[in-house]
Parts: sequence; structure tokens; C-alpha cells
Amino acid sequence: MTTTTSHERHAARGARRAETVSIPPPSGLVERRKRGVVATVGAGGVDMFRTAAELYSVFVRTLYYCFFGKTEKGAILAQMFEIGNKSLFFLTVVMGFIGMILVYQAGLQTLRVLPDLQLLGATFLELLVRDLAASIGCLMLATRVGAGIAAEIGSMVVTEQVDALKLSAADPIDYLVKPRFIASIIMTTVLIIWSAGVATLSGMLTGWAIFDLHPNTFLNLSMVDAGDLTIGLAKCVAYGAAIPIVSAHSGLTTHGGSEGVGWATTRAVVNSSLAVIILNMLISAVGFVVFPN
Amino acid sequence: MSAADSPPDAPSSFLGGIGTSFLDIAETAGGMGILAGKVIYRTVTFKFDGHELVRNLERMGVRSIPIVVVTALFTGAIMVLQAAPLVQRYGAHGLLGWGAGFGTLREIAPLLTALMINGRVGANNTAELGTMVVTEQIDALRILAIDPIAFLVAPRTIAMVTTLFFATIFADVLALFGAAYAGWGLLGVPPTVFFNGLTSGLLGLGDVIGGLIKSVVFGIVMALASCQYGLGVKGGAPGVGRAVNATVVASAAGIFVLDYFVGFALP
Repeated sequence: MTTTTSHERHAARGARRAETVSIPPPSGLVERRKRGVVATVGAGGVDMFRTAAELYSVFVRTLYYCFFGKTEKGAILAQMFEIGNKSLFFLTVVMGFIGMILVYQAGLQTLRVLPDLQLLGATFLELLVRDLAASIGCLMLATRVGAGIAAEIGSMVVTEQVDALKLSAADPIDYLVKPRFIASIIMTTVLIIWSAGVATLSGMLTGWAIFDLHPNTFLNLSMVDAGDLTIGLAKCVAYGAAIPIVSAHSGLTTHGGSEGVGWATTRAVVNSSLAVIILNMLISAVGFVVFPN
Repeated sequence: MSAADSPPDAPSSFLGGIGTSFLDIAETAGGMGILAGKVIYRTVTFKFDGHELVRNLERMGVRSIPIVVVTALFTGAIMVLQAAPLVQRYGAHGLLGWGAGFGTLREIAPLLTALMINGRVGANNTAELGTMVVTEQIDALRILAIDPIAFLVAPRTIAMVTTLFFATIFADVLALFGAAYAGWGLLGVPPTVFFNGLTSGLLGLGDVIGGLIKSVVFGIVMALASCQYGLGVKGGAPGVGRAVNATVVASAAGIFVLDYFVGFALP
């Protein structure tokens, strides 16, 4: 008797307190505390260093599991469909427009200096093979694939599915990151070769329609040598490896509910785009030293 | 939760798929057009929230500076690296500034700045608006007789366009510096030769203005797309994730398509 009444009294008090202290739901408009310049720069530096160390750790563990991990049937194929086939339309549209833009702009600019456009096609194809197909295509893939991977893994972290994996003695790197890593390397290379073809076609048609450049003149592969091809393919593989690692890292470090997933997606897109740009710079510089033409 | 997490199933028939995606695109484009009309009306009549505008300018503009700086410096260096074999083949050191300059000012700086800011700001904006829709904060605003377009969408649109405009100017300058010093380090072309090539008359103010017009167009597209997808979120927290993904993809495709048409329309 007395226990029930005290219990009821307790519950009533709890309800009253909940009413009076009603905390508004988090609005998502979190303002950060103001910090000094030195503190901001220092925190940024420490953050960057920590992220780099974590990325390195994720990368090494992924490589380890590529050789010594457990294989799950069909996981890589499913990811290849997710990463490759579903990006095909997007990449085709973008690279088609890139071909038209580049030929149109380059033609206009060349006409300011030189009267003839004989070498426009050859130069365009060299640039496309060596850099632009891989770099612009992968910036697009970083956006689409990176956001997808981070959102998927991020929502698995938030709903504690990743913790469940760890409890079942399945390393999320082995189970989640590795299939995406392998699938991304393969499909990035395939997609970039396809998109180079699309850009060549649209560039050729633009040259024909606007500058009256015959397709035979345009499709001049004399400037494309083994060095260009090597650099282009090296870029495909490097970007294809970097995008899933960076995005999976953003996804795995998600915290703070559905809003955190949004942040993780943003971070994945920005960081994988930056990774593409920085790797482009590094590989181009190395390529310039190794293949000086 | 996990069932709702996965994207909706692809339609079974091929033609049906094409039709569905066409209708989706038309719906989004129409929605963006209507949203644009509403935003322009609020902007012209000054019916937008000034405090929210300042907050968004700080959040979108000032916080994006590090990304813009890194992107621009590396981009400039990449432009020089790509022009390097051509320059060496013909020994045309004087043309390096022109080559890197026109590429940077007309195309690459506006394009890459827009893509980076799209990833950072556009995605974030959709996530924020989407979370507000899911937690019914937009309905709460309507109940309080606060117009969500004037309070949320118009300030974000203005802030995003302004951010992109100034970020592009910033990126132009930094990318040219990056290009000049990369040319010095890699090709031995002194910066004075580079800047002479840049200002020798082959490039005019028109090229810079062309790039800036592009940046404004990109800003408008990004802002409208991210607000449209954000306000159209359905299906709770997983819906927010899907909307973020869709925004980033749609804005990136829109940026490239419009880049072509703006480049075509400019002299």
C-alpha cells in the first residue's frame, strides 16, 4: 500500500518536473564558441593530423583485409553495381558537357593566337587522357559515390549496426570498407575510360559543328604516348582507392544521430574532393618528372 | 529503419524507368522555378530576415575560406603542370601565363570553387533544412505566421550567391599565384614572365567577368537545388540522407550543364 502511493507520488513529481523543465529539441543550429586565432589554427592543425593518421590506419587495414580477410559472396559485385552502374548516367551527362565546353573554349582561345585549329584535337585528346577524364570524372564520382558511402555507413553507425558487427567479431573495415574499396578501384577505372570516350565524342561533334573541324583531323592520337596513358590510369586507380577510404572514414566517425549523418556526408564529399585534387597535383608532378616528353 | 534506409526500388521496365526519371527531373526543375520566383519576390521587396542572412554568410562564406584556399592553390599548380609539356615542346614560356590564366579565370576557378562549395555548403544546407522539415520546425514557423521562404530560403539563397561570387574572386587570385609559383618551381619560368603573359593583352576584363557571371549562375542553381531538395524531404532521418545525396548530384550536374550554356552565351 505505502509502496504504491510513494511510487505514484514519485511518478507524479517526475511528470511535473518534465513539464516545467521541458527542453526544446536540438535545432541543428549549433553555434561554436569563439576561439582565438592561435587556438583556431592549432585546433585545425591537430584535427588535420589526427584525420591523416586515422585515414592511414583505415587504408592499411583495408589493404590487409584485401589479402587476408574473409570473403563475402556477392558483396563486391553488389558494390560494383552501386558505385558503377548507378553513376553511369550522371557521369555520361557531365563528361559529355565537359567535352563540349573544353573544345569550345579552347578553340575560341586558340583562334585569338593562331589562325588554324589543326592541333586542337590532338592537344585535347592528350589533356583528356593524361588528366581531365580522370580528374573531373573522379571529382564527380567523389561527390556521388563519396556521399553515398558516407551516408550508408554513417546511418549504420548511428543505428548501432556497426557496433553489432564488432560484437559478432566482424571488423567493419573487412565487412564494409573492403568490398567498397575493391569495387571502387575497378569501377572507377572502367567509368573513366567510358567517360573519356564520351568526352571525345562530344568534343569531336562540337569541333565539327562550330569550328568546321573534320572528325578525321580531330581524332589525332599522335600526341598521346605511353607516359600519358600511364599517368591517366595511375590517377584512376589512386582516386578510386582514395574516395572509398576517405568517405568510409567519415562514415565510421559519425556521431550525433541523423544530423550527424548529414555532417558525415558533407565531410566525405569535401574531403574526397580535396583528396582528388591533392593526388592530382602529386601524380602530375611525379609524372612530369618521370615522363618529361 | 533498415528497410526505409535503402533507396526506393528501381522501376522494372526500361521505358517506365526513363519516364519516371523524366517526370522527377521535370518536377524538381519546376519546383526550383517556383521557388526562384518566390525568392526573387522576397528579395526585391526586402522581405527577408537580415539576421539570418548575416549568420548564413558567416557559416557559408567565412567557414569555407580554408577549402577555397587549398583548392585554388592546388588548382593553379595543376593548370601549370598540364600546360608544361606544351610550353616545353614549343619553348613558349611567355604563353604560360596566358594559357594558365585563361583556363583558370574562365573555367577552372569558377567551376572548382562551385564544386567544392557545393559539397560543403549545398549538402549542409539540405541536411539542415531537411532536419527542420522532419522535426516539423517548418510547420511551427508557419503556425507562428513566419514565412519560411522569407525566413529560411531567401537569406540562404542570397548568402550562397554572395559567397560563391566572392569565393571565385578569391580563388582567381590564389590560383594565379599558385600557378605563377608552380611555374617558377617546375619550369623555371620566373613569376614576372608569367604575369607579363597574363597581362599582355590576350586576356581582358571580359574573361574575368565571364567567370564571375558563371559563379553567380552556379550559386543560384546550388542554392535553389539545395533548398528545394531540403524542403521536399520525406521519410524521416533516412530521407534526409537521400536528399543530401540527391542535392549534391543534381547541383553538380546542373553546374556543368549551365557552364556550357553560359560559356556559349558569353562573347
